[in-house]
Amino acid sequence: MKFRLALIPAFAVALSATAFSAHADQLADVKARGTLVCGTLTTTEPLGFQDPKTRQIVGFDVDMCEAIAAKLGVKLEHRGLSIEQRIPELASGRVDLVSAALGYTKERAEQVDFTAAHYQVPMRVLVRKADKLDSFAALAGKRVSAVKTSTPEIYARQVLTKSEVLTYQDGPAAFLAFMQDKVDGFVTSHTAGLRYLAETKGEGVYINDALAWEPSALGVKKGEPAMLGAVNKALEELEASGDIDKLWVKWYGPETRFAFAREKKLTPIATFAK
Amino acid sequence: MEDLLLARPGYFALLLHGLGITAKLFAVSWVAALVVASLLTAIRATSSKIAQGVIALFVEYHRNVPGLVQIFVWYFGVPQLLPRDWQRWINRNDGEFLMAAIALTLYAAAYMSEDLRSGLRSVSSGQSQAARSLGFTYTQTMRFILLPQALRNALPALVNQTLALFKATSLAMMIGVAELMHAVRQMENETYRTFEAFIVASICYLAISYLLIYAGSVASKRVAMSKR
Repeated sequence: MKFRLALIPAFAVALSATAFSAHADQLADVKARGTLVCGTLTTTEPLGFQDPKTRQIVGFDVDMCEAIAAKLGVKLEHRGLSIEQRIPELASGRVDLVSAALGYTKERAEQVDFTAAHYQVPMRVLVRKADKLDSFAALAGKRVSAVKTSTPEIYARQVLTKSEVLTYQDGPAAFLAFMQDKVDGFVTSHTAGLRYLAETKGEGVYINDALAWEPSALGVKKGEPAMLGAVNKALEELEASGDIDKLWVKWYGPETRFAFAREKKLTPIATFAK
Repeated sequence: MEDLLLARPGYFALLLHGLGITAKLFAVSWVAALVVASLLTAIRATSSKIAQGVIALFVEYHRNVPGLVQIFVWYFGVPQLLPRDWQRWINRNDGEFLMAAIALTLYAAAYMSEDLRSGLRSVSSGQSQAARSLGFTYTQTMRFILLPQALRNALPALVNQTLALFKATSLAMMIGVAELMHAVRQMENETYRTFEAFIVASICYLAISYLLIYAGSVASKRVAMSKR
């Protein structure tokens, strides 16, 4: 009995210790640990994908992780994530930062905090050249396909209100429906759609207007103001020094098969959170 | 409470719309499947070995290939074999619904024809002999004497197939038919409230399945023969 009683204070100490560590802020944790756990996608070229030679995950998102870790003065611990994992892994604190083609939406902002948007990508509609559909107005009464759960779907429903939006389980299915003439257009982000555009062998073309410019940002766990502030500060410094532009050119520049310019600079996320 | 998923603007209407399409897809495929299954059963009961073989192959294909694959084959595959004009016509006239309905019809018909076949085998041979001796042709015997009895014998099994077909309508979501499951996934995607969305779906499917089971039990009481 004596022995058991003696254990109680020990438990109390242990409990309060865990309670404390749960409340300690994440930035302090990262600094103490000396590593930043940063998650990226692993199958999305050129954001995060496996280099066929080295078998390493490389890409623009990975380089962003590296740059932020360097600014925080810690080492990078890279973590590969699937699309579905991104938000849960961040919310549960298993990763400190997510750099994974994370487009800003109001609903996602209820689950995680977004940093400033470091790049923006236009949403496009891929159509057949022969159909001569050169504006969104021409799509009235027509059908367009999109990937279910994707942000292009959301933008398509918002902008193409006079068109019917058909959604498919993944990109290849939505694109196949377009190629088989089942729909007149395929809604996709400019960058993700480039490989499909190439696949049409000259028969497809983007409508020139953008449905929207989707802001992409890094994600931080909710309620970690110190961490969010530190990452935002790092982004501002990287923008000022031209480092983000350099990374962009490395992965999307004219030398790559994407040849896509980074048109918009770092923008505070509050600009989009209306 | 004010943050219930279905209380959000537009979501109840979205759910009803999805339910409507599910009901339509189910009703069309169910009626068509019953007709096709009856035809298959009647043809298989003839003495033609070739017809029997062809139908056996048809049944095996539908029993052994997942429904999802069958829907993809009908939607992305079969129209490609048709003339260009036909393809365009299908695409412009709700091709997803049409192709999903065809795939589901054949899928359910294959199972139902097996149930009807065993129902038919349980009708005593005297029935057919009596009908023929009264001057009924083969078709008449089938239509007026044998199939109705086979249908009655097979009723419990057919209720099961009906439920299976009803649940299989959710596969049509994969080719863009805006049915119940499609509506539910839409809510889930927009709100990230996965658990609630699937609870809503479960309740809808459960309610309708019970309605179908009830209808089946009423039907079987109606056609029951007095116990001898």
